[in-house]
Amino acid sequence: MVMASMSSGSESFRLCVFDLRRGQNEGQELDKILFFYPPDLTFSTQLSVIGLSEGLITFTRLFSPEAACEVIEAERHSHVFYEAESDIWMVMVVEKNKEIEAIWRVDALRRMLKEVHSLFVMFHGSIRALLEKEQTGGLIRSHLYPFITDYLNDLFVGKKLQLPSFRETLKERGTVQMLTLARDAALEVQSLVGVLDSCVGIVRCHSVILFHDLLVSTTLSPDDTVDLFTFSVMRLTTNAQSSGMSSWSYLRKGSTLSQITSRSTSAQLLGSTDPLPSGNGNNAARVIRPLQHEKWSKGKVGFLVTDIWGKDATPTIWLQQTQERVYLLTYQYKSLTLVLLVPTPAIVNGELDISFVKHQVIENASAKILKVEEKLSKGWGGENAYHVSGYRYLLVDNDMEISRASPPGKVATLAKESLLALNQLREEVDSEKSRTKVERDMEISIRAKNNAWVIARITRGKELYMALEKASETLLDATDSVQRFSNRYCSGSFSMD
Amino acid sequence: MISNFSNAGMKEKNSATASTLGRILATCSKQAKDYGSCVASKVHEVEKDICLKEFLALKNCMQHTPSLGSGGLSHVYIQNPSLRCNIPESTGLFYDDANRLLICTTSSQVFSWQTTPFNPEEPPLVDSISEGPILSIRFSLDKNVIAVQRSDCEVQFFNRESRQILSHKCKAGSESILGFFWSDSPLCDLAIVKTSGMDLFAWDSMLNTLRLVEAKKVNVNWYIYTHETRLVLLASGLQCKTFNGFQLSTAGIVRLPRFEMTMAKSEPNSKPILLSGDLHLVTVYGRIYCLQVDREAMLLHLYRFYRDAVVQQGSLPIYSSKLSVSVVDNLLLVHQIDAKVVIIYDLFVDSRAPVSAPLPLLWRDYQGSGTSSQAANKENESSESSTSNENIVMYEDGWTFLVPDLILDQTNKVLWKIHLDLEAISASSSDRTSLLEFLQRRKLEANKAKQLCLGIARAVILERRPATQVSQAIDVLVTAYSHSVKAGTYKEIKNERTTATTPTVGASPDNERHGPSGSNIDEEVEMNVPSGSGENMFYAVEQQESHLSSAAISPDELYKFVFASVEEMMVEESEYLVAIITEFLRSISAEKLKVDLNVYVMIIRLLAYSKRFAELSLFTTNKIIEPSKEVALQLLESGRQNLRVRKLGLDMLRQLSLHHDYISSLVQDGYYLEALRYAQKHKVTSVRSSLFLEAAFASNDLQHLAAILRVLSDLIPGFKETSEYYTFYGLLNETSSSVAV
Repeated sequence: MVMASMSSGSESFRLCVFDLRRGQNEGQELDKILFFYPPDLTFSTQLSVIGLSEGLITFTRLFSPEAACEVIEAERHSHVFYEAESDIWMVMVVEKNKEIEAIWRVDALRRMLKEVHSLFVMFHGSIRALLEKEQTGGLIRSHLYPFITDYLNDLFVGKKLQLPSFRETLKERGTVQMLTLARDAALEVQSLVGVLDSCVGIVRCHSVILFHDLLVSTTLSPDDTVDLFTFSVMRLTTNAQSSGMSSWSYLRKGSTLSQITSRSTSAQLLGSTDPLPSGNGNNAARVIRPLQHEKWSKGKVGFLVTDIWGKDATPTIWLQQTQERVYLLTYQYKSLTLVLLVPTPAIVNGELDISFVKHQVIENASAKILKVEEKLSKGWGGENAYHVSGYRYLLVDNDMEISRASPPGKVATLAKESLLALNQLREEVDSEKSRTKVERDMEISIRAKNNAWVIARITRGKELYMALEKASETLLDATDSVQRFSNRYCSGSFSMD
Repeated sequence: MISNFSNAGMKEKNSATASTLGRILATCSKQAKDYGSCVASKVHEVEKDICLKEFLALKNCMQHTPSLGSGGLSHVYIQNPSLRCNIPESTGLFYDDANRLLICTTSSQVFSWQTTPFNPEEPPLVDSISEGPILSIRFSLDKNVIAVQRSDCEVQFFNRESRQILSHKCKAGSESILGFFWSDSPLCDLAIVKTSGMDLFAWDSMLNTLRLVEAKKVNVNWYIYTHETRLVLLASGLQCKTFNGFQLSTAGIVRLPRFEMTMAKSEPNSKPILLSGDLHLVTVYGRIYCLQVDREAMLLHLYRFYRDAVVQQGSLPIYSSKLSVSVVDNLLLVHQIDAKVVIIYDLFVDSRAPVSAPLPLLWRDYQGSGTSSQAANKENESSESSTSNENIVMYEDGWTFLVPDLILDQTNKVLWKIHLDLEAISASSSDRTSLLEFLQRRKLEANKAKQLCLGIARAVILERRPATQVSQAIDVLVTAYSHSVKAGTYKEIKNERTTATTPTVGASPDNERHGPSGSNIDEEVEMNVPSGSGENMFYAVEQQESHLSSAAISPDELYKFVFASVEEMMVEESEYLVAIITEFLRSISAEKLKVDLNVYVMIIRLLAYSKRFAELSLFTTNKIIEPSKEVALQLLESGRQNLRVRKLGLDMLRQLSLHHDYISSLVQDGYYLEALRYAQKHKVTSVRSSLFLEAAFASNDLQHLAAILRVLSDLIPGFKETSEYYTFYGLLNETSSSVAV
């Protein structure tokens, strides 16, 4: 067995979702379990994992009621905790082994949990709401199971589940990657946004525009933008659609074969073995699986179509900031992907109105879309557009939830030692950040075993991580390099002296 | 432009007009109904003039409705005061278009009025000449000589200074003189057109003699010439439809290729004859057109003159067998004399659709109109002459239409100037974009056109028209401005800024008047300079005209008079307004123009108001909002609600190297250590050290206070001796003894 990745079904990877408010009485413990992966484990094994987690949460809450435990490092396993909603916990258990590839950053794993939960909420609403809708838990289970398994599916390479290891240390999950625009292009884009805004009339439509896998424009809050951006890059953009093509976004692995989907019968298995009466039958049959693979295709008029929501049905999603449900329309022209969000109140006659909106978009925005695509293509620097020679970097803006990094192909040229040192450095910064909670400035420079410099600079919500393998001996030179980078590419944000 | 006749009246918001309309409709209900049902039945056929027959019937009825007086609807009007030739015993009225003189002759005297500028109160010049018949009379271009055609074989020349008289006669019997005109071409000063051709003469002012320079031999039935175009067309052939053309410009004499006019035949064998009155030479936008009336086809053919070709460019329908044309402000006015209506065409656009519906020519008293009325002396004038004005009959037989925009009423011996009512035209137009284009092309009443444009721009925003429509409108205004900047009328716009705030004041039509007609000549001179290929020899860049003003609206004015003025009313719809301003910025950037910083400040305010912080940061990072101190301060201000926005403002201050503001803002936000470090690095001395100390003390973090004291005492020599040091050192020790400095 190759240890670099986890073979599914083994003990090496477990993921569970449970509700602390449920199953408090003896004999009803199974009630707590909302999701468990792998699903074919016995209930007693599932319960032992959840029982341990619950115990740890209860225990740590004694000391820190606001933020209970984040991670437990056992001898053979790491338990990563994430409280997705109040009293609803997601726990990921990963096996430690001596193989070097299995070194990860806990925060990166937690961001996975956060990501899958955010996406779930975007499509189905909160877990709590679904639980309240149907007290037995059948409804939420029937939703969570296919959703999370579809999500994990993306992480499979062959039969191995690949978690974000130290090799992905110069990536930040849960952030948006932006396309840098020239002013005239930005004005064209904004002009297009203005047209999309008003294509339903008085009610304002939100929109998100992507070019390749990069964000061009958004009218959503940063949180909603991240969720929709993540989903778009996973399933909607041209790169996502031409599966098999090597991707340079962390959001996609080259998975085409869906291993879990093939076992999706076990969803019903779980449903039918559910001790509680509901959760099977009608509900299970109608469950929508937004993350299903290869379900989107380009329709006749340029809009993407899917039958995930039913034949000819238009998907809807839930916006966190405005707490409203919106129709999701996706228009694609070459590498340009436009996601248009139409508030449900604006659509009275269902698909009839939707097709009217589509018509409006084509009529009013086509010319502008063409123009924007032309401008963006002209200024498009390709996959390596944001490569800065001599530097391997990650730049995160926590305020805007934006990140930019060296292209993966360039990061791959780094020595393992550099990456490991960087991973360790990030781990350090993570723990420092979670300890203080308030924004503070930080500067760490480490000389790695291979004589590379790994440097972190944190200043007022912005983070810069960097590996300099060919920097000269002295720390002064290394910091000078950072200084130059900061002045040139970050408008001097990280100039600390 | 609009085409639907019903628009003409319906859009008038004026209640007085509405009641007039009501009265008319009551009287003409049958005609109105016929017209209405015709329009209704053909409502799907988007075509102009389809119900013209019905319309004319209705219009005819309207005009004969009593008590309508001069309060009716119109787009074109003549107004008091007119130029009156109250000369007793006058024997004839002439117009010298080269000098723009109205000439009234008696048996021995010549009275001449300058019509440009049009000032009816100015007394005429008087010259005396010997008695005799006068077929035509023209002053030489230097006005030293008066030439009078006495008969079909004699022209007499009177030198006004030396009083010398010269007679020029042609061979009696074999040829006869059709007419003559003065020229400013370097080759000749005078051209005499005879049935056998055209003779060009040089005038020797010293000797008071004519010298034949060149004779163009060609059979001539009749000819037409206008000084405006410097073009003479000699008609020949049985049907008089074959033309030899010459342009006698300052650049020399250009011979046009011989060409034929088209004429429809009523029957296969009929040969209609073209009359000189059926041909009109006009100049619009510096291009020369010849308009030919074809009565059989009821069409007005347009021919455009190029250096090496005459090209027919479409035809206009006509609704009257008697027809005349005028040009006002580069617009072609076709007077349908029998129908007593005038139709306006703008030949700038390719479409041959009329600018507005056919409406009667209107006579206006001075104060009766919405146009800029002038001082009190005008009122006196109008009351004095009102008695005689009451019996004005529109388009009566005695009217002569003079080039380009005058009407001579031979019966009443009155000269009128034709005016356009831009307000009425814009009120009756529904297509705002083309209306704006139309108004931007207006030069004569540029200020009024400009005010109308601003009003329209405000209206489309306030009416919340779709963003695409508004952006089209903005594009029109911005490109028009950009063109005028490139053409060099930019400075004039700057001068005009003062008048923009006080609209219509000092914009009397008379003042604006002398621009176009005078400059058309200059421009004609310009365009005949033989330069290069010259395919468009007859095309002159209109912007070269030296007008007092242009209707172009600068981005700053657009901001001030449109966006800023609607902001308060639109604050609840700030999203819409932001979309509009974005379009405005896009338009500005496409034309590479600069825009007032206040526009950016306004966008930030609007975006912050509607809590669109994500977009605000996109606008800022993409530099749609260009960085500046004002913008940064507004970001800081709006950032009170949102820390991210505040950071954008801070970053902008730093990037602009506005050290003082940056440090103050950092300290305000509690980043005093960073502020101090920054101040040291950039050697900012304008920030007092107490600022840091006070901020640090206020933060209750004694370690920070201690650190700052330490840093300051290290950096500033003698700091330990200052009172500041003692104060804060004391405070530090008082509060806690554990922290050592």
